[in-house]
Amino acid sequence: MVEFLQLTLSGIVFGLVYAAVALSLVLIWRGTRLLNFAQGGMAMFTTYVAIEVIYRTHSYWAGFAVALAAGLVLGAACELTVVRPTLNKPPLNSVIVTIGLLTVLEGLAGILYGGQYRSFPTAFSITGLRVGGTALGVSRSDVFVAAAVLVATLVLAVTFRYTSAGLRMRAAAFNATIARLSGIRVARVLTVGWALAGLLGALAGVLVTPSTFLYPNSMDIIFVYGFTAAVLGGLDSAVGAVVGGLVLGVALSYAGGYVGGSVGADLTSLVALGILVAVLMIRPDGLFAGSRMRRV
Amino acid sequence: MISETAPGTPADGAASLAIEGLVAGYGEVVALDDVSITAGGGAITAVLGANGAGKTTLLRTVSGMVKPRRGRVLLSGTDVAGRSPEQVVRAGIAHVPEGQGVIPELTVEENLRVGMMSWRARKAERTAALEETYGRFPPLAARRRKLASTLSGGERQMLVIGRALLARPRVLLLDEPSLGLAPRVMAQVMDLVVRLSREHGLTIVLVEQNARSALSIADHGVVLNLGRVVVSADAATLAADVALRHHYLGF
Repeated sequence: MVEFLQLTLSGIVFGLVYAAVALSLVLIWRGTRLLNFAQGGMAMFTTYVAIEVIYRTHSYWAGFAVALAAGLVLGAACELTVVRPTLNKPPLNSVIVTIGLLTVLEGLAGILYGGQYRSFPTAFSITGLRVGGTALGVSRSDVFVAAAVLVATLVLAVTFRYTSAGLRMRAAAFNATIARLSGIRVARVLTVGWALAGLLGALAGVLVTPSTFLYPNSMDIIFVYGFTAAVLGGLDSAVGAVVGGLVLGVALSYAGGYVGGSVGADLTSLVALGILVAVLMIRPDGLFAGSRMRRV
Repeated sequence: MISETAPGTPADGAASLAIEGLVAGYGEVVALDDVSITAGGGAITAVLGANGAGKTTLLRTVSGMVKPRRGRVLLSGTDVAGRSPEQVVRAGIAHVPEGQGVIPELTVEENLRVGMMSWRARKAERTAALEETYGRFPPLAARRRKLASTLSGGERQMLVIGRALLARPRVLLLDEPSLGLAPRVMAQVMDLVVRLSREHGLTIVLVEQNARSALSIADHGVVLNLGRVVVSADAATLAADVALRHHYLGF
């Protein structure tokens, strides 16, 4: 029973990180109908920026803030330079471009920072929390990870739902023609969407890297988890992305925990890929898809 | 400056739209071939013709969705040809495209708010503009918090016209506003178009398949055929010309 609680709580924490990656993918998918394969690479790169800042300033929070800012800038810059020219071309073009972007970012990280594994600090203690005599399986650091993703998600949700900027983004995503005819500068809205996705990815990178180490490919598997979570949620839905992240996080936690040993650790990525393939084959519109179908 | 051109302005302040030698197309296809049309200030100009005559392309080119290859679009003397849709609506031309104009995933009120994205104003001014729209279209007021997907066909048409008016245009381009509407609802929409022109001085370009009902409310009529203007005359004259009606308009 205790093990179940521990696995569930730690699954939720990791699930929220996957949810952040999934949300960043959904943001871009809704705006441009393209899947950003470079999302993980962008997050890896901003995490290197963070670690450099932390080494120099000895302040975790300086690195944290700079990583988020770098995510915003990198997201906007990628959209403006390499993605924009592909938008009115066949969809395969943008897919290839984001894969190319991923390769460039990972290569660049290797050249600039080397290929060795680097550890990344946490903001809070990683000592497990206890209630009474029972270990919960999560630490203060884990609580911070969960809280940071939840706050970011909430801020984003409120912005989208209740502000004029959010309405502009939703209108542009749902019907770009009507948005433009109404005076919304859709191109600018797309850039903002990429910037926000970059920020979310950067947040996920900083939060997850203490558990994975940092190296040029370190975010690849997190991207796969985030993508799986987004597909579970239907790629179109922010709520779906969060639920998908949580479902996946908990499922992987059980797979890793109950099977145990090195087999369990190897199993998690296989389980994730299995879920991805199964969802794409059986319910390609996600678990929450209704009869509503939209092609753009 | 902007409020002068808001709905409610008398007809003597109305803006004219002069399209001169417009050429536009898609790839190899020339959809508009040297089209010149003058839409008088505060008047309704009906643009008629068969499918593929270039009517929709004409509106899309005026509003900036299609880049013209040649020609001018003069709004009260200022050339807006080649500007982006975002700029054209700011200049004072609102385009209500054919069908699919509502954003079903947004609420009625959010759809209307989208219409005010082209100008800056205080919250109070926006609220007043919204209330004015609800006053004009009471069925929308009752459903303001509902998703636009729940509206009937007639209510949707009210919503897209209401949204276009919230951009505070001087010229309104309407593409087949009667499409798919029941006859009674269609009559209401036509009646609304007349009031926007007569009472509020809006200059209206009305594209219609239904030539008979369009000519019954228009001041002027233009017939397009294969991307060219073949006839341009008073609406009454057009409606009375039996040979022309049979040949181009099918009634």
